[in-house]
Amino acid sequence: MGLEATLVPRIVEAMDKKPRIPVIWLHGLECTCCSESFIRSSHPVAQDVVLNMISLDYDDTLQAAAGFQVEEIRKRIMKEYAGEYLLAVEGNAPTRDGGVYCTVGGDTFLNILVETAEKAKAVVAWGSCASNGCVQAARPNPTGAKPVKDLIPHRAVINVPGCPPIAEVMTGVLTYILTFGTLPELDRQGRPKMFYGQRIHDKCYRRPFFDAGQFVEAWDDEGARKGWCLYKMGCRGPSTYNSCSTFKWNNGVSFPIGSGHGCIGCSEENFWDNGPFYQRLSNVVVPGIESTPDQIGKTLTVLAGAGVAAHFGSYMVRRGINAAKKEKPVPSAPEKEGGDQ
Amino acid sequence: MGTRTLHVEHLPEQRYGRRYVWQLPVRLSHWINFLSLLALFLTGLYITFPQLAPAGEPSQHFVMGRMRQIHFAAGQIFLVSFLWRVYWFWMGNNYARSGFPFVWRAAWWRDLVRQAMAYLHLRRGNVHLGHNALGGLMYTVFVIGLGWGQIFTGLALYSESNPGGFWDHLTGWVIPLFGGSFRVHMWHHLFAWGFLVFAILHIYVVLFDSHQYRNGLLSSIVSGFKFYEEGDLDHDSWVS
Ligand code: HEM
Ligand code: SF4
Repeated sequence: MGLEATLVPRIVEAMDKKPRIPVIWLHGLECTCCSESFIRSSHPVAQDVVLNMISLDYDDTLQAAAGFQVEEIRKRIMKEYAGEYLLAVEGNAPTRDGGVYCTVGGDTFLNILVETAEKAKAVVAWGSCASNGCVQAARPNPTGAKPVKDLIPHRAVINVPGCPPIAEVMTGVLTYILTFGTLPELDRQGRPKMFYGQRIHDKCYRRPFFDAGQFVEAWDDEGARKGWCLYKMGCRGPSTYNSCSTFKWNNGVSFPIGSGHGCIGCSEENFWDNGPFYQRLSNVVVPGIESTPDQIGKTLTVLAGAGVAAHFGSYMVRRGINAAKKEKPVPSAPEKEGGDQ
Repeated sequence: MGTRTLHVEHLPEQRYGRRYVWQLPVRLSHWINFLSLLALFLTGLYITFPQLAPAGEPSQHFVMGRMRQIHFAAGQIFLVSFLWRVYWFWMGNNYARSGFPFVWRAAWWRDLVRQAMAYLHLRRGNVHLGHNALGGLMYTVFVIGLGWGQIFTGLALYSESNPGGFWDHLTGWVIPLFGGSFRVHMWHHLFAWGFLVFAILHIYVVLFDSHQYRNGLLSSIVSGFKFYEEGDLDHDSWVS
């Protein structure tokens, strides 16, 4: 978390003594991979977070209770802990047709989200769905899905993107809020700087191969066997902000690049639309034109060349005709025709 | 009052004159731009399509690293030359401003149409001291427009290697504006092609014009002088 060692006692104390923060954890359009990631956190262990640090009062997927009973609890927390509870949102809300494409307990998720955010102390957007829209907001986005920050524009939202986010990043954000009672420092896109401050590429262990110019060019070539850089295979590490190359996944076992696959940039805005994943240049530049920047550029270059050639060609033809028309060919100086002076 | 035709006021039999049009800063900036853009284009191509894959330990090579180094150095040089030219737009003679699209002036539009028609009809057109309106428009789009586009996207990409640093503060906002770092790469890449398109058009038009006008157009970007004849168009009075 980039904290000084002297602050460790403060974290221990906070985890021991601070009152548990009430948390309402909503699920909208999503796949629950964020929850799946969360429950695998090892520093701190997820059950510690759920049982000792926070009071997870409402969570569609983890709660034991069901039905009217839990909706009742949500309403009660919102009233009794107004301004104190934390709202964690997994997934986002479809906005088309009044938000009918995602309903929970008879109400649209859109309404529930806006209503629950109203009196929350802070709003945490878990994962790329909540932070950037992710797959359901990818083109053509049939349900008009929008990330949380666009649905409650007047509230500051902590974005914790990733598909899913790293478990320790999720629990780390909660630990920070519990310990210091404030939100962590955020970057321009509302992401905690301590986890999203640098690109995968900047901490990647394959980076020496990048700088050397040694690249994998096919999945089964010599470079792939030697663990060279995956840049030419479309690795999105150079434009992806996340902690995968530092923390790794599953208690530090590995991460995509460590397993020989390029980064797909899952924590970045629009990452689905930035495909195909396995090529360096994608088709995204101009909306409506399904071509890579190279195809567009080559076309324009050829057009410019053709235009120039056509102009020069017709000029020469015209000169030939003019010369033939005259009985005596004109001397080298071209005639001056600009009659509109 | 817009374009003024030239009257040579020396000896009655003297129909030709010579004028200092491109001042030294303009010429310098032109050639520095040329060299740095060439380096940027070539190293940029390598950055997108790194072809070399030398075998051996990575510690023995620094090909991509070197290309990026040259690219960034050339980028900074281009930036300085570009900003210098922007400064000279204000400080230089009136020819330094003659490429500006004076869209609110009828004379500019007249010159634009006249010049475009001259090219389409393969006519000689008018010799201009300074830029003609069509040429000026081209430089505005391809040099000023693309130049700023390339500088901002390039510096935003550059800022990524030092989060919270100087360039991040100055140009980091470009990244969310384009919808993420990856898209900034794509636009930066597309803009690079624009410079190639510009090079084709620019070189052709300059060769064509200098062949038509025979007024020292080509050598003027080295010497600064253009020749003119009575009746040629002078843009000295466009901005004053
Ligand atoms: C003016 C200042 C410029 C700066 C600061 C700059 C900076 C950069 C940076 C940081 C990158 C990314 C390198 C990487 O991915 O590691 C880049 C890539 C590139 N630059 Fe520039 N650049 C500038 C101008 C230009 C110009 C004028 C051109 C073309 C004429 C150009 C062409 C390219 C190309 C083609 C790439 C590869 C893009 C990609 O596929 O990712 N750059 N530049
Ligand atoms: S594998 Fe990806 S993140 Fe790692 S150095 Fe290569 S391009 Fe960068």
